[in-house]
Amino acid sequence: MKNIKKTQVSYPFLEKPVEIYERENGHKIVFAYKKGGLINISSWVKTGSINENNENNGISHFLEHLMFKGTSNHKAGEFDKILESRGAIVNAATWKDYTFYYVTIPKGSDSRNFYDTLNLHADMMLGPIIPPHEIGEPFDINNPEIKTKRERHVVIEEIRMRKDQPWTKVYNNLNKNMYTSHPYRRDVIGNEQIISTVTREEILEYYKTHYTPNNITTIIVGELNPEEILHKVCNEFDFKGRENYQNPKHEIDEPTKEIKFVEDYSKINTGFLMFGYLGPQACDIKTSTTIEMLCLILGQGQSSRLYQELIEKSEDPIINVVSSDYYHFKDGGNIFVDANFKPEFKNDAIELIKKQITRICEDGITEQELKKAKKKLKAGFAENSETVSDIAENIGFYMTVCNKLEYVEEYINVIDTISQEDIKQVAQKYISPNHATISVLMPESYKN
Amino acid sequence: MKKYTLKNGIETIIKRNNNTPRSAVVMYAKTNKDEEKAGLYYLITQLLFQGTKNKTAEELATFLDENAIDINVEKKADYIRFKIQCLNEDINLALEIFEDIIENSTFDDYKKEIVKIKGELTADLDSAKIQAQDNYYRTIFKNHPYGTGRKEILEQIDSIEKNDILTAWDEIKYCSQKNISVVSDIETTTIENLLEKHFAGLKAKNTVSQRKEVSTLNENVVSVLEKEDANQAQIFQGWQFPSIFSQDYPAIILLNTILGSSGLSSRLFLELREKQGLAYTVRSVYEPYTLCGNFFVYIATEPKNIKTSINGFDIEIKKIMTEIISEQELEDAKNNAIGKRQFYQETNLLEASLKGYYEFLGLGYSFEEKLIESIKQITKEQIIETAQKYFSKSSALCVLAPKKYLEEANLIC
Repeated sequence: MKNIKKTQVSYPFLEKPVEIYERENGHKIVFAYKKGGLINISSWVKTGSINENNENNGISHFLEHLMFKGTSNHKAGEFDKILESRGAIVNAATWKDYTFYYVTIPKGSDSRNFYDTLNLHADMMLGPIIPPHEIGEPFDINNPEIKTKRERHVVIEEIRMRKDQPWTKVYNNLNKNMYTSHPYRRDVIGNEQIISTVTREEILEYYKTHYTPNNITTIIVGELNPEEILHKVCNEFDFKGRENYQNPKHEIDEPTKEIKFVEDYSKINTGFLMFGYLGPQACDIKTSTTIEMLCLILGQGQSSRLYQELIEKSEDPIINVVSSDYYHFKDGGNIFVDANFKPEFKNDAIELIKKQITRICEDGITEQELKKAKKKLKAGFAENSETVSDIAENIGFYMTVCNKLEYVEEYINVIDTISQEDIKQVAQKYISPNHATISVLMPESYKN
Repeated sequence: MKKYTLKNGIETIIKRNNNTPRSAVVMYAKTNKDEEKAGLYYLITQLLFQGTKNKTAEELATFLDENAIDINVEKKADYIRFKIQCLNEDINLALEIFEDIIENSTFDDYKKEIVKIKGELTADLDSAKIQAQDNYYRTIFKNHPYGTGRKEILEQIDSIEKNDILTAWDEIKYCSQKNISVVSDIETTTIENLLEKHFAGLKAKNTVSQRKEVSTLNENVVSVLEKEDANQAQIFQGWQFPSIFSQDYPAIILLNTILGSSGLSSRLFLELREKQGLAYTVRSVYEPYTLCGNFFVYIATEPKNIKTSINGFDIEIKKIMTEIISEQELEDAKNNAIGKRQFYQETNLLEASLKGYYEFLGLGYSFEEKLIESIKQITKEQIIETAQKYFSKSSALCVLAPKKYLEEANLIC
């Protein structure tokens, strides 16, 4: 096809290279070949809480819900009904850097399921009408006499659900304190006050601004031939000259230079804590991968240092659960150490974790730990290549957050280049025990 | 798919899937006796990783992680399931270490493990949903091990002695029915040889089950938990349903699809979430065990909506019991349920787990195809008959919420 730039990327554990087509308008289409009876179609949009402010926080996620409320071709619910009645799993998710919509469906004996899904998915992505009665009237959150409850209330129930989750509570407190000004500090789901009052016009305006060709990547994974379907995908994704939008750049926050401690209380019986650190930008693949390995050695699995030292080797452990993890974000990832502990030993729990962080910063890691981390990351990649939806998610992440799928090609090689010294250096740079944000959630009885 | 019986009598099924980098081995072992002390089987599943005669707990964990071998041992309602996953090139290592765990676990550190388990379970119970869910199982399966939850384990686990563990483990190793399923991109004969080598110490003998029967719920039961700071009420309403062996099994799958298991287009989702805005999460769940089954509806909602939500459940249950469904809805439900079943076998592990489970139950690994055919044959009359047959029985209604709202809903005085 004319005016389409094609590139290929070799994707570990897949039989054929992944094909990327960039159209003149900036819309990208990615095909990954995976044998089997299921296909996945998804579209990733470069917007999430990163593009929100204090007045519209939660709008990306609310819009994600409302995208399912019909188009001029299909009324609300038809999309789900048609696809689910063919065995599809239909859903969407919103995070800090992106929002994505997906359908995983049995291929069926002919290509009907694929073409119908593509048609419905493109229609939903490009033509949502967001009917007022589906959003529900704006209302006063403090007025208990609301009669008509629509999607606003569904999202508010989702917010309530998260308030009852101790880990979400401790994470949200950590997240907003790790940053000084970056939009990442806001909770993706927003709050009840905004969701109850945001207007349809604001939502439609947000949609028009961000759902532009250059901000959308459509990914198709399954046993399909790109040459046969590319034309159809382009036709279905007719943006009709929609203008592009360049996402603003945000100033990246400096990591804290001290211990920033936040404590909250709840009717619980154990204590929850999280250490948080700001990490490198997602496109810094080598450093990000080195941090993944650091987290793996520090706190993933029963052989990790935190598990062995704080639980396994302790006669009477004060820590019940402990792990560490790394979240990749466009403007800088987050490194976490989280633990559940016996609340009477809060200070001891914090000190024990600090001690392990100090140890890895000062002494680095062993050759054996390095070997383990490399093997685990490679096997993890193999695991994420087993289902069409996992492959699509991985591609979506690289295309949307890193802007480049070629990183996936380098991933396994990058793992091989990482040394013990590299891990020690990233530990020293990113996870000092005295420059951490620490969020703790304690039982209410410890308030005074 | 090939069936192969090991020299020790354990039946295996082996399937080769080309171009799949990871192998999956799954073993089911029946639990013939009920736990006398709650938590015994769960404790065993954890202790299997706490050291063998050859390796300490740390060495074992390091070996598994260094070789990216995932071994997962799960205690389920009727069996213990062992799941092994590794890169194809590490299959021998994976089965070698599994053999060491099975043959040489010492169970010495059981007291320490009990402390760890108590910590983990106490942390779990800080979740309102887990508290409510535990209470539901305890209520619907009163005085039966199917109803054992975290609370019972916390109450009884300290009384477990090493002898209890060794006796139960010997029973599992030597006296329980077992079967093994392997799905990988490895030659079938290689797998047969590896299984012969590493599973030789087990026995296939199946002693007579000594399990307690499930008492029928003879009247509607309401059980509440007060949680003053809950932002949402957690509501479970459930019925005792039949097991997977019932001839009604295919109809129940469809009943569940229509009512609330099918994602964004089920009746409960459309009515309680989309039309009434009562919840983010609302669904129905059917769990078939071997002695019976469990069917429940669940919603998490603002506490002031308790009554409306229970009424909403009531309306939908009555509707499916009294109004015959349309041909279209039946057809959609069939296509939905049958289509979704492909997801259950998408990876080697999922395929090994499902086919192995059918073999283990004596239904045969190709039961899936028979089940799909049976689903296709279900009529709309069978749906209403099945709904009437089981939903007319007594139910357990369990609600967690702040006291004020439980009172408002007339659930407590």
